Amino acid sequence: MVRLPAWLGALDRKLLRDIWRLRSQAFAIALVIAAGIGMVVMSFGMIRSLEATRDAYYDRYRFADIFASARRFSESLVNDVQSLDGVSIAEGRLTSNGTLDIPGIAEPITTRIHSLPRVGGMPRVNALVLRSGRLPNPVRPDEVLASEKFADAARIGLGDTIEVLLYGKKQRLRVVGTALSPEYVYAIGPGQIFPDNRRFGVLWMGEEHLAAALNSSNAYNEVLIRLEHGAVAPEVVRRVDNLLERYGGRGAAPRSDQISDRFLENELSQLGQMTAILPPIFLGVAAFLINMVLSRLVESEREIIGLLTAFGYRNRAIMWHYAKLALVLSLPGLVLGLILGSWMGRGLAGLYQEFFVFPFLTYRAGSDVFLISCLITITVVLIGAAQTVRRIGRLKAAEAMRPPVPPNYSGGIARLIGKIRKLDEPTRIILRGLVRRPLRSMLGSFGVAAALGLYVASAGSMDNVGMMTDLLFHQANRADISVSFAEPRDERVLFELERLPGVMRVEPVCYIAATLSAGHRSRSESLTGMKRDSDLNRLVDIDDGLVQPPVKGLMLSTILAKQLAVAPGDRVEVNITEGRRPHLTLPVRSILKSPVGNPAYVDFASLGPLMRETPLASGAYLSVDPDQADALYRKLKAMPIIAGFSQRAAALNGIDETVGETMGIVTLFNTAFSALIVFGVVYNNARISLAERARDLVSLRVLGYQRSEVSYILLGELALIVIASLPLGALFGYYLSQYLASSMSGDLFVMPFALSTATIAFAILLVLMTAAVSSLFVSSRLNRLDLVSVLKTRE
Amino acid sequence: MAGPALSRSPQDESLYIIRGLTKVYGEGPTAVHALRGIDLELPRSAMVVLLGASGSGKSTFLNIVGGLDEATDGEVFFEGQELTAFGPAELTEYRRNSVSFVFQFYNLVASLTARENVSLITEIADDPMTPEEALALVGLEKRIDHFPSQLSGGEQQRVAIARAIAKRPKVMFCDEPTGALDSQTGVIVLDALDQVNRELGTTTLLITHNVVIADMADRLLRFADGELVEDRDNPHRVAPSELRW
Ligand SMILES: Nc1ncnc2c1ncn2[C@@H]1O[C@H](COP(=O)(O)OP(=O)(O)OP(=O)(O)O)[C@@H](O)[C@H]1O
Ligand SMILES: [Mg+2]
Repeated sequence: MVRLPAWLGALDRKLLRDIWRLRSQAFAIALVIAAGIGMVVMSFGMIRSLEATRDAYYDRYRFADIFASARRFSESLVNDVQSLDGVSIAEGRLTSNGTLDIPGIAEPITTRIHSLPRVGGMPRVNALVLRSGRLPNPVRPDEVLASEKFADAARIGLGDTIEVLLYGKKQRLRVVGTALSPEYVYAIGPGQIFPDNRRFGVLWMGEEHLAAALNSSNAYNEVLIRLEHGAVAPEVVRRVDNLLERYGGRGAAPRSDQISDRFLENELSQLGQMTAILPPIFLGVAAFLINMVLSRLVESEREIIGLLTAFGYRNRAIMWHYAKLALVLSLPGLVLGLILGSWMGRGLAGLYQEFFVFPFLTYRAGSDVFLISCLITITVVLIGAAQTVRRIGRLKAAEAMRPPVPPNYSGGIARLIGKIRKLDEPTRIILRGLVRRPLRSMLGSFGVAAALGLYVASAGSMDNVGMMTDLLFHQANRADISVSFAEPRDERVLFELERLPGVMRVEPVCYIAATLSAGHRSRSESLTGMKRDSDLNRLVDIDDGLVQPPVKGLMLSTILAKQLAVAPGDRVEVNITEGRRPHLTLPVRSILKSPVGNPAYVDFASLGPLMRETPLASGAYLSVDPDQADALYRKLKAMPIIAGFSQRAAALNGIDETVGETMGIVTLFNTAFSALIVFGVVYNNARISLAERARDLVSLRVLGYQRSEVSYILLGELALIVIASLPLGALFGYYLSQYLASSMSGDLFVMPFALSTATIAFAILLVLMTAAVSSLFVSSRLNRLDLVSVLKTRE
Repeated sequence: MAGPALSRSPQDESLYIIRGLTKVYGEGPTAVHALRGIDLELPRSAMVVLLGASGSGKSTFLNIVGGLDEATDGEVFFEGQELTAFGPAELTEYRRNSVSFVFQFYNLVASLTARENVSLITEIADDPMTPEEALALVGLEKRIDHFPSQLSGGEQQRVAIARAIAKRPKVMFCDEPTGALDSQTGVIVLDALDQVNRELGTTTLLITHNVVIADMADRLLRFADGELVEDRDNPHRVAPSELRW
């Protein structure tokens, strides 16, 4: 036994020795607390770090508050915007999409090109973080900056030349530097939801040179706005819209609609949701374990409590002693959790940098997160200990001193068990044991069920993402390749595409910029024209599967319908912001629960009459003979009309790599955590039954029962508890998984709920295996019990 | 607490004055009358032995006078103060400062050594002995750092006595302290009690089933069915070592 320092009081000595005696149970509790606290520290810290980093980044690099784009406008309009009330800086720029041809990559790469201001070269709004090299020299027409992650992924070095197909012209550009922009924290290509740095890149080049390439000198197509403090954003948005109306304005949007910011915001809110759901479950189980261990301890120390009372210890002091024991018991868990959380937080920050690109992202939990964790732990422990400690307060000294009344097995069900003839005695003992403490047996089952549910839910999110990928890339988008055009084209372009090598089928798609409004609510979205009975790009509803575009009127995504607060039958005002800019009022025909995005669909065939011009395609879906893909790519790279390109297989790959890997790590953590909980609950249950039953079991051994027969009694009870927990846990996991899926769904995507039976089956297997391992531990303890000493101890 | 009339009363010398002490467990037809009105006065520094059949109410009496249990009716005065009117906090103070207990099953804390079991009590007392002194009084100076599991029953009981005397209580309550011991060991334990009573003047109330033990007392009380049926002085108190059973 460890030597204890002399200054330690007798009760504290008892406390430390008790904990040493309970160490294996304390260890199990510590692990569960560590898991909960670790998660709290990790996610709180991560949210904190992300927010702080984002705010600093946005602020220092003057991320725009409002984004507005139009077809083409002059510099004087920028000045008009600048002079609006509340506008601090207004800066015009040119933005265009193009495709890149990079040696070593077969397919064309989608790129977005922004202009850099003539004066100074560094944007005043959305300033760049120069990561290597230098800004382009204004007198050199071919110099560009490339986004850092893209340059890395596509292996583009400083000084390398790349070929860009821009507005129908091939340009040879030289990369002179790499940069980051607050605009591209989450950098995704058009129509994507996950960043793929190899296939989407951003370039910045001098304004004059980009203008020349786009045939657009002295004009801009975007204006970025920084607001003054206290400016009313919606008001400015409205005025900018008015100003841009005549120039083909496509609607100004506040920062919160900017795609990168939306994804970042979405991530933060998901992280917050996770923190609100998962740690409480862990900590709840921890409280339950503490309750179990402590109430057992107090039960066995009734006489000590009576003695302390008899000798004049105050009730408060005795209650505090046991509360303190619970607190000390949880201390290692807290410390472990803080360490684990910081470690996981740092790991998570690393993972985040795969998706979210900041010039710096350091995970820093902050002392208040630690403080909160301590408070949470104390609260959890005290909740766990409360019932028992209150019972101590009520214990009368005279009663405590009396030997405990022999357990009452005479209840109705217990007697019933006696009547069942076929049962052997050990089984009877098991059943009576369960019935005698129904609450504890039930709580034990709940604990295991919680663990099972937790695993089901976290592994289930893999199923959900799998379903999402399936919906997107197998059911909805079945085209091998999709391309977008530099500008809308009539159907002749489709014939042109059909003639390309390897192209087997072509279907057009049409996006039309529009503002949809209903009442005082309005959203700038694109209207998507969908062909009926199309084969390559289909409308898929999460619940209903394949659907057709509406005959007349609109089909809105669930999210958009919610944003506009409309239902089928309502009418929506649609202001088309391109072409002849017609103002229409269209009925909502149906709602589509679409996994991604915010689209509004119309029948492609109805577009012509609506737009009052022949329908144009803004892109096309292609199915392609894989053997001829390279030849096709070569052709596509040279086609001026192609401004964007994406390949289904590559996108799928990208998802597998990044998302799969991340989810894999998270799931691994969760699996480990769930196993910990199962272990904690089962092992604690077993140890307590062992302590309570030791005398009975040893007596049986003395009477000639074999070890295995005695183990059967001990483990049989556990087995029943675990088995009872399985359906409960599966059910809990089902609902938790559903809840997680719905909490993951924001205004960016709707997460389908697709929990598979395989996941549930695996979870059950995991629980059974963990239970088996903890049973092994306990039964080996049982076998090591010293018969004589157990019988000698009075209890 | 003390009524002014009482403090002027002639029985002022008495440590305890007990009047009509009644204890009923439960209610209605199943009620158990454990004590049926006990009247008694106990002087300071006496060695009192309580005898009686099992279930006659001895422990109940001891627990109430010791402040562990509440009376149903009647009064107990301790040094002129009405114990039966004490609240829980005052009872705790009473147990903490004035009285001590020794139980049949020792009730040592298994995870504490002999010394630590004694410190458990000396730590909260006003003017205690050191644990070493107390253990020396019962002849256990050599076993100070042993855990209860390393001590025999008699040794454990002597640790319990050391624990009880260490805070220099005015009264010791011993409920069958030798009940679980053989006669030889019993004598050693009784010797320790006897010595404490003589040397420190500690009033001692000792419950036993063993009539022989009554010979070491100044006074004998016999309970039967919740009543005090015999109360006599023993002028010829003998040392425990001379007791034989
Ligand atoms: N908590 C209780 N509830 C009901 N009855 C009780 C309780 N405690 C004691 N009794 C009853 O009160 C009576 C007196 O009990 P007490 O313990 O005082 O007897 P005792 O003289 O100490 O007996 P023993 O020599 O066996 O220890 C007994 O009939 C007992 O059954
Ligand atoms: Mg008794």
